[in-house]
Amino acid sequence: MHLPLGLLACFPVVVHSIIGIPTHPPLEPLPRRDAPVLGVGSRSHRRHQNAYPDEPDKYFHEADFDRHYDGRFANKRLSYDERRKHLTALMQTYLSTMNDIGAETWIMHGSLLGWWWNRKILPWDSDIDAMVSEKSIHHLADYYNMTVHHYQLPGLDEGRDYMLEVNPHYINDSMESANKIDARWIDTDTGLYIDITTLRRNRTAEARGVEGAMMVKDNHHYMYDDIFPLRESKFEGCPVNVPFAYSEVLIEEYREGALSQTVFAGHRFEPETQEWIPLRHAVQQNKLLPPGP
Amino acid sequence: MAGTQDDAYERSVTQQQEQPQAGVPGSASDPSSGQLQFSRYQPRTALRHGEYTKRSRPLVDQVNNSWQEIEKGYYAVETDDRELRFCDLEDENSCPNTTKGLVRSKRFRKMILIAVTVALALYYAWISYVRPRVEQEWDVKQGFLPARLNGTYGIARSGHFDGTLIQWLDPKLVPGGEADPEGKRRLVFVGDIHGCKKELLHLLDKVGFNVDTDHLVATGDVVSKGPDNIGVLDELIRLKADSVRGNHEDRLLEMSKTVLGSDLDSPDEAATSHGSVKDAKLLKHFKHRHLKYLKDMPLMLRVPALPHASSSWRKDPHHIAEDIIVVHAGIVPDVPLEKQNPYFVMNMRSIDRRTHVPSALHETKKGKSSPWMMIWNWYNDRLVHGRSMKGFHSYTADEYRRQQVVTNEGWLSRGWQAISGNKHATLKPQVVVYGHDSKSGLQLHRWSKGLDSSCVGGGKLTAMVLDAKGETHVVQVGCKNYKA
Repeated sequence: MHLPLGLLACFPVVVHSIIGIPTHPPLEPLPRRDAPVLGVGSRSHRRHQNAYPDEPDKYFHEADFDRHYDGRFANKRLSYDERRKHLTALMQTYLSTMNDIGAETWIMHGSLLGWWWNRKILPWDSDIDAMVSEKSIHHLADYYNMTVHHYQLPGLDEGRDYMLEVNPHYINDSMESANKIDARWIDTDTGLYIDITTLRRNRTAEARGVEGAMMVKDNHHYMYDDIFPLRESKFEGCPVNVPFAYSEVLIEEYREGALSQTVFAGHRFEPETQEWIPLRHAVQQNKLLPPGP
Repeated sequence: MAGTQDDAYERSVTQQQEQPQAGVPGSASDPSSGQLQFSRYQPRTALRHGEYTKRSRPLVDQVNNSWQEIEKGYYAVETDDRELRFCDLEDENSCPNTTKGLVRSKRFRKMILIAVTVALALYYAWISYVRPRVEQEWDVKQGFLPARLNGTYGIARSGHFDGTLIQWLDPKLVPGGEADPEGKRRLVFVGDIHGCKKELLHLLDKVGFNVDTDHLVATGDVVSKGPDNIGVLDELIRLKADSVRGNHEDRLLEMSKTVLGSDLDSPDEAATSHGSVKDAKLLKHFKHRHLKYLKDMPLMLRVPALPHASSSWRKDPHHIAEDIIVVHAGIVPDVPLEKQNPYFVMNMRSIDRRTHVPSALHETKKGKSSPWMMIWNWYNDRLVHGRSMKGFHSYTADEYRRQQVVTNEGWLSRGWQAISGNKHATLKPQVVVYGHDSKSGLQLHRWSKGLDSSCVGGGKLTAMVLDAKGETHVVQVGCKNYKA
């Protein structure tokens, strides 16, 4: 939901408490481990982490009750309204932090589609997608991995902690089915997170002569000129960057219908108010259609 | 019945015959003659049709009972035979027998042959000419109707534009306008220049450009790719020319926000891209006035309908009497100008027929796209002929309510529409002047003028000159290929 003080929410009073763990370039195969979480998170509870026994290399784990939550910090699925409120806060704190750090980041996929429609997160979206450049991910990994950022947001209860965790497999340029996500910005109170991926140069395509080809480890391909130079705009009341050819990127991923269909995923777009209104029966059953983007 | 009258007549005739028989020569008493002999005593009436000819015998003798041999026809039926009435094969007048008789007749066969030939000809004409047109017309119309399945483009907030969205041409520059009562001014529209300064000067010379009376309007993409970008900008600034923002200007402006501010060296190609490196180099040479000129370029430039131009019902692509909208690439029909997506206004070449979502490609992967100017021309043709816009999508609640009131009342309200004015009754057709599509070259239609003839790629640089009376003519010069 909307926070009352809007833009002010992007620059809140911040107390950084940094727990840094230095990362080394891996010399031998990485040992499987979970990041140490003692001292992180406001409540101790049974861990709900999904183990993924058949993917031993997978670094990030999700909760067993819902794959859009981090099981170390979540113990239940949130209601529709609560989830919207917390996702908005997640977005704003992420953008504020990246701005402070000076890392270049922009929104993609479902978040970009929400930006197109009404500059807000789509209500049925359970996570947020952001992208960073290669330089940015190296910077984050070198200096900000496993850092916890404390935010005192107006309109929400007490202060909250947000953790930035970088996947050590980010160094690996090739496609990996188990480690597609390079970093996460996690709300330690509710377990919601932002998936951060890196836009890398597609060296195999460039070797073949395709100039300006870029790729992401989750098997998306773009051209450099479609993303850069980034445009500045607003999203959830905060300054963001969006790709240069945002319309083409959206149509490429979601087809033309995504830019024109006003009824989707149990919601209807109201042109007058520019809001996605949930269709009544879907909300009553507390069950919305499977998230699209 | 005739019998009674005949009896009376016969009686009188026989009486007369008996009387004058004595002394009249050439009397009627000649039974073998077979004709009724007239004498002066007989009545004047001639032989009546069906009359008995023999007068000597009593009438009764001529009565026969042949009526009893008449075959039982429609009036002699009994209840059992009623079902077989039309289909009784034994009956000569029944349906199958009549048909058989008909079929055998030559005249009937000829008629059937003609009818079949005509039907076949009509069917062939339908299949090959009429039906494809009707289908195409319906297909195009579908895109304008709001449908929950297809959705409607133009509702979302869509992209943003950093600068003036719509700008009207300075009234002092309008040919035949308030500052030009004699109608001496001209407007010169030029396609994508792309830094070809020499060709631009040659073209202006060929047009006979006079700074005092002529005004230059460029359709965007005046820089990038070509040999002398700074030179072109300086020339345009000197001539106080107008231009709309093209996709290359858009790119340069976005890049200028980061590249110019930083003290870092220009990024190399390995970290960015070939085009990006060239743009960055160009930006470094820009002076403040060049950047300001680019920033001042609006997304769309509007020219009001020329006061001295008479509106013509002719389908003449060389006469413009309506409002003109100048954009770089194109606009989506039936969507208000403020709701057009700026990215697509600077990049589109086709639109999806169903959803009207534009695309920078000539043809989308799904294959359901048409060149946008075809749909635009169809829409404006419809507007100019005053054809119904019933059911077309409306973008605000006001328009929607007005349309609802009107469509519910039916044909009687059409007259009212003309007076009260719903959205579409007050809409006038407009001409779009654009560039961007070098592959298609010069495209002159009634409602759209595409002026990009690929100058920088070795084609031609095109100018369209518009005078105060609304007449246009096209002037072109050849260009060197700078892309190699």
